[in-house]
This record gives sequence, C-alpha cells and structure tokens, in this order.
Amino acid sequence: MSVTQPELLPELPSLSKLYLNAAGMAAKNRLLGSDRGPGLPEYSAQVNHVVAGLPRLTAYQHLLGNTARDVMPAGFVHTLAFPVAMQVMVREDFPLPLLGMIHLRNRVESFTPIHYSQPLTIRSWARDLAGHRAGTQVDLVVEVRADSGDDVLWRGVSSYLAKGVYLPGVDRPAPASMPEDFNAPEPTALWRLGVDTGRQYAAVSGDFNPIHLSALSAKALGMRRSIAHGMFLASRALAEVRSPEPDAFEWSVSFDAPVYLPASVAVRIVDDRDADGGWHGSGYLGWNRSTGRRHFSGRVAPLSEGP
Amino acid sequence: MAPSASSPSSATPSSVTPSSAVPSDTDDRTASATSAPAGPAAPRDAVIIGGNRIPFARSGGAYTKASNLDMLTAALDGLVARFGLQNERIGEVAAGAVLKHSRDFNLTREAVLGSALSAETPAYDVQQACATGLETVLGLANKIKLGQIESAIAGGVDTASDAPIAVSEGLRSALLDLGRAKTTMQKLTILSRLRPKDLAPNAPGTGEPRTGLSMGEHQALTTAQWNISRAAQDELALASHQNLAAAYDRGFFDDLVTPYRGLVRDANLRPDTSLEKLAKLKPVFGRSLEAEATMTAGNSTPLTDGAATVLLGSEAWARQHDLPILAAVIDGEAAAVDFVHGKDGLLMAPVFAVPRLLARHNLTLADLDFVEIHEAFAGTVLSTLAAWEDEEFGKERLGLDGAFGSIDRSRLNVNGSSLAAGHPFAATGGRIVASLAKMLHEKGSVQGRPARGLISVCAAGGQGVVAILEAR
Repeated sequence: MSVTQPELLPELPSLSKLYLNAAGMAAKNRLLGSDRGPGLPEYSAQVNHVVAGLPRLTAYQHLLGNTARDVMPAGFVHTLAFPVAMQVMVREDFPLPLLGMIHLRNRVESFTPIHYSQPLTIRSWARDLAGHRAGTQVDLVVEVRADSGDDVLWRGVSSYLAKGVYLPGVDRPAPASMPEDFNAPEPTALWRLGVDTGRQYAAVSGDFNPIHLSALSAKALGMRRSIAHGMFLASRALAEVRSPEPDAFEWSVSFDAPVYLPASVAVRIVDDRDADGGWHGSGYLGWNRSTGRRHFSGRVAPLSEGP
Repeated sequence: MAPSASSPSSATPSSVTPSSAVPSDTDDRTASATSAPAGPAAPRDAVIIGGNRIPFARSGGAYTKASNLDMLTAALDGLVARFGLQNERIGEVAAGAVLKHSRDFNLTREAVLGSALSAETPAYDVQQACATGLETVLGLANKIKLGQIESAIAGGVDTASDAPIAVSEGLRSALLDLGRAKTTMQKLTILSRLRPKDLAPNAPGTGEPRTGLSMGEHQALTTAQWNISRAAQDELALASHQNLAAAYDRGFFDDLVTPYRGLVRDANLRPDTSLEKLAKLKPVFGRSLEAEATMTAGNSTPLTDGAATVLLGSEAWARQHDLPILAAVIDGEAAAVDFVHGKDGLLMAPVFAVPRLLARHNLTLADLDFVEIHEAFAGTVLSTLAAWEDEEFGKERLGLDGAFGSIDRSRLNVNGSSLAAGHPFAATGGRIVASLAKMLHEKGSVQGRPARGLISVCAAGGQGVVAILEAR
C-alpha cells in the first residue's frame, strides 16, 4: 500500500498520449540530460468511476478465446487498469525511461469475479526498484476496488526491466550463472499467431506500443520485427487453462524470449489434480519449436484467502 | 406416477429387463473406467429439475456481438450456478442452433468445455428447425428413461444478429476448384469465371427452400384458409404481452432467467401495448393474397437472439443431488405435413401430432390443465385451434368421428409465449419446457391426478414436435 495520498486523475489517461509524452521525454532527456532522481518518487495515481465498455470487452473476449461472459476476464482488468500504471511511469520523476522497458513478470490476484457494469477505483504506484544483471527493474502495483468498497477485488504486480540503465545507489547483482537449460516437452496445443496479432490485441487492450504494431514501427525501436504483447500470450494461456475463470485465483507469468510475429508457439498446460479430481492449479509454458527457446511460463491456481 | 410413459404402441426396445433396478450413481466428478455401465433398465421417469435462460433480445439489440456459443454458455452458466453443477459430469448435453456457422459444428460440446461442468461431460448438437429445443428434451428424456444416462441438459440457442453469412455458390465453387488447381493457367481460368455478382454474400433467410415463400407468407396462406381475423390475432398478441408481463411482475421468472449483457427481461415485451396500438400496425405478410392481409409485426414474432437450457434427470439422480423435481416428461410425438403443394399449411404439423399423442395416452384436450402452443405467429395458434374445432377436418384429415375439440383459452399460454418473449428459434423449446414444468409443479394435482400440460411447437419444413409433461 502506498503511503502517500494518491493523485486523483479525472479520467483514465489516454495510452496513445502517454506513449507520445514518453517519446517526447526520451528525446528531451537525450538532448538535455535527465533530471530524474535515483529513487522512486512517493507517488500514486488513482482514477475513480472506471467502467468497462461492453463492445471492447466483447471484442477482447472473442480475441482471447474467452466466452463473452458478463464477468470480466482478469487479463481484461489488466488492460483496463494499465493506463493508470503508465501514468506513474511517464512522470518526470520516475527514474526509468518508459520506452524500451521489458515486461519481465506479471502476477495477478483476482479475489472475486467483477461484473462489467461495476464502477471501479483503480490505483497504481511503483515499488521495489532493484538492480538486475541487465539493467534496473521495478514493480508497478495496481489495485482495483469497487467504487463503493474498501476490499481489493483485483491486484496486479508487473515487473519491468529498463535494459542497460544502471542507477546510482541501486545494487547490481552478480551475473546469474548460466541460464538454466530448457528442454522442450511435448506440447498440448499449438498457437498460430498471424502477423496482425499485435494490432488486434492493441485494438482491444488499448496498448499501442509501436513494438507490437508492425515490423516497421518495431524496427524504429530496435526490434527485428513486431512482437506479440506479453499479456496477450499470458491471457490466452489463462483462457485455455480455465473457463470460466475461478472465483478467486492467482495468475502469474514470466516472459523469456519475445514472440516475433507471425509465429507458431508450442504450448503445454499441465493441471494439478488430487485423487478426487479437484483442481489445485495449472502450469503453462510456451516455446518456439524450431529454436527451442522458451517464450513464457506461468501458473494459475485457486486462491483460498482474501486480499 | 403410473408408468404410462411407455406407450403400448410405441417401439419399446425388446431388450428391456423389467427386473433391473435404478442404476447406482457413479462418482460424477471423474470418469471412472471401473464403474459399471448403467445397463438396460425398465423404462422409468425422466424428470425436469429446472431450467435457465437468458432474457431474449431483439435482433440487433443487447446481444448483437454475442455469438451462439457465448449465449448458450451464458445460459449454461446460470443453470450450473442455480443447481450447483460445478465440476459435475452430466450424462449428456444436447442443444442446437438453427442459424449455425459451420465452425460451430460442435457448438454444444464447445459450450460444455467453456462452462464449469466437468470437461468429461459428452455433448451433441441437434437441428430440427424451431423444434430443436423440444426435440433435445425428448431425446435426452428417452435416454434417461432407458437408463442410459442419469442426468442431462437440453437446450438451444439462436442469434439473428450474429447470423452466419455464406459466400455465393459461384465464389464457393471457384474457391474449391482453386484449391484443387495445379498450374497457374488453371488458376487463372478458374478466377476468370468469377463475376461481380459472385462476390455478393448469401445471408440466411427464413424462406422455405422448396417454395421460396417466407415463413410469414406461408402462414398468411394458412391464416386466410382458416379465416382468422385480424382482431383475433391482435387479441392473442395482447394476451401474450399481458401474460408475460404479469408473470415477470409476480417473480415467476426469478428462478428461470439470468440477466445477460444488461438485459433483465425479454426485450420484445411491451407491457403497455393495447389493441389500439396493435390495430395501427400495417400488415407485413399476405399482402398479395385475395383475402385481407392480417399479419403484422405485432402479431408475428420478431427475429430474436437468446438461449435456453433445461436440467433433466432420473428421480434417483435428482434426489441424490438434493435437487427439486418439477415435472415428468411423459411422451412426445413428431409429425410432418405435405406443405409443398399446399395440401396443408407449413406450420400445421402439430395439428396432426397432438391427436396422435393424446390418443396414445387416452387423453382429450379437456384433460390438459395447461396448453403451450408456440406463437410463431398469432395466426399459427389460431389456425391450429380452428382446425381442431372443425368437424370436417376432424373427420377427413384426423380420422376422428368429428371435431378434435377445443381448448379452454384460460389454459392457453398463461404466462405469455413467443409473441411477447420473442423466438430465438432453437431456444424456444427450452423456454417453454422449463416454464411449463414450473407451472405444473406449482399447480400440483387436479382432481386427484397430477396436473398435465401440453407443448406444441411448429417448425420449418412442415414439421412439428409436441409433448406431454406432468406435475411432480
């Protein structure tokens, strides 16, 4: 929980404007040098009365392979709340440059199903600025509550890496020993992702980060080709693990090699069940069958305790 | 209840062993390979435990972007929640859609996989036009009666908003040939066949393939044949709206309907409609006939989106799961008419099915406490009643001594029907079965016998399916 009083934003910020601001700031900092501090500012942003649009929800559900239910998928709540986290990261006093940040991990706790018509209060702040062998990482926390309630309905923690950025006072851990070998198992599914996968997910999530939109826009930011959104991959895995989503569950993902589009992703989902068939969780894994490189891995499991 | 469910004249399987008892239930949560198969059992009751549907939306309304799969799953979700069926392995689920995209070849199984039911629940699709929903109930009830399954979910769904659109025959044929072509020259030759008109898509219609007439135009012929007046049709439509509105108002649908996409009641329902308002509507069907055109948008069902499900089981299964028992599925009958050259009206098959079914059970129309005649059009219901009341028709067409009989109108569609609720083709059977089962259960017994209800559903292709339910 953030200690400071959150800045109350009048409405959800526009992601496209935030990306433009970030690009402008990156250019300015390159010319004039950054005046960022070394640590995280005491800042949190909040937006009240957020209500999902039904057309966007339905389009999201169909793209991700969810049934069009009245309950919002946990991944959709992430897209709904993402602009508030972006608002935290584009501020002048945020110590890391937004553009080019890499999504390392994501963990979501979904404590109760949320009906699409529920007005929501969304709050976000940054925490745990830390050294990483390849740069500096930070966690963005997002909490979603009903407008009228104190209980957290949904909490997401996204870990990002600013590659090649080393801040004074932030310890740099020793390089990890050799990365663990990945031995690809037999897949349970094969996803064929078209070249327009990034654009399609951008349309339903609002995340128009240029690295996902086209080969050209991705190259402008130093990528070989456009890459799939990490949260698209994780959300599609969630949809395949469990439909309908459990009432209370945690859902985590770690991202490894990016998925260059178009792509064919081998996927394996393994359910943990007890002798009575009761579900205790599922692990999922995605990899490239030709290179043998792992793209992502994660887990979905029931949550028994409240927030 | 007396074992009247199996009729003396119907084809009862010869392998039935009257001595075998109700099969013991297996653990429903896991597919146990070691559990004994249910095995042949004496015909026993199949009971209706309850139902769930989503409110019906007008085409282009609240469910515009929802697919058949979405809506069927939504209806299943509510049923699972209402009866605690999470992780339950149901004996079999059958449902269908009339307007169905070819990618939905396994629509019902996909809905099961997307639901909270056990993934080990088998499912199959049924398609019998507007009789789809009722036929799923009858087919599954028969399996329960035979001891093949202990539990079942019947249902149906349709969307007129998200209807599949096919490419033209010219384009389809060219695309298939293109796939088989080997050389560039062959491919170019095939492509050169295409004309601009081939690019126009084929939207599904309600026209009969053999006559080219829409369902409404067919009914207009029948309506004129039986001299059904505009006023009588409007009165039936008004009663449908008033009855449905009253049923909602007294909470009748509280445990039959689950809101979806912001809709809490059937969108077509007009509680404040009146004979004056209905009388102002212009006729839309039968305008080229010699007789007065009487069929309007008010006394015809609109294109509708929606889904409905019904939970069925053996008595033992219902009791073991501590579930209510509303009614028993007694029997059903299908009929078809030779409508193509006009011998009978397209939607008149139930006129023949009902006398056959009642005769099998030594019943008359007077023995029915509730009669549910699907209101495809007000004219359909009124033509059906007129045919049954007609002495000549009774003698010559039904082979009776005189008229089949008349129905006490106070027992007809007492909680409204399709004119008010709307008619998502395959969902209508499930709507009627669940509602009638609840009505019968509330009524209990009449003169010392269980309350009895009749369902009659007409369908495209000159078909009809009818059924008898009894209170439990």
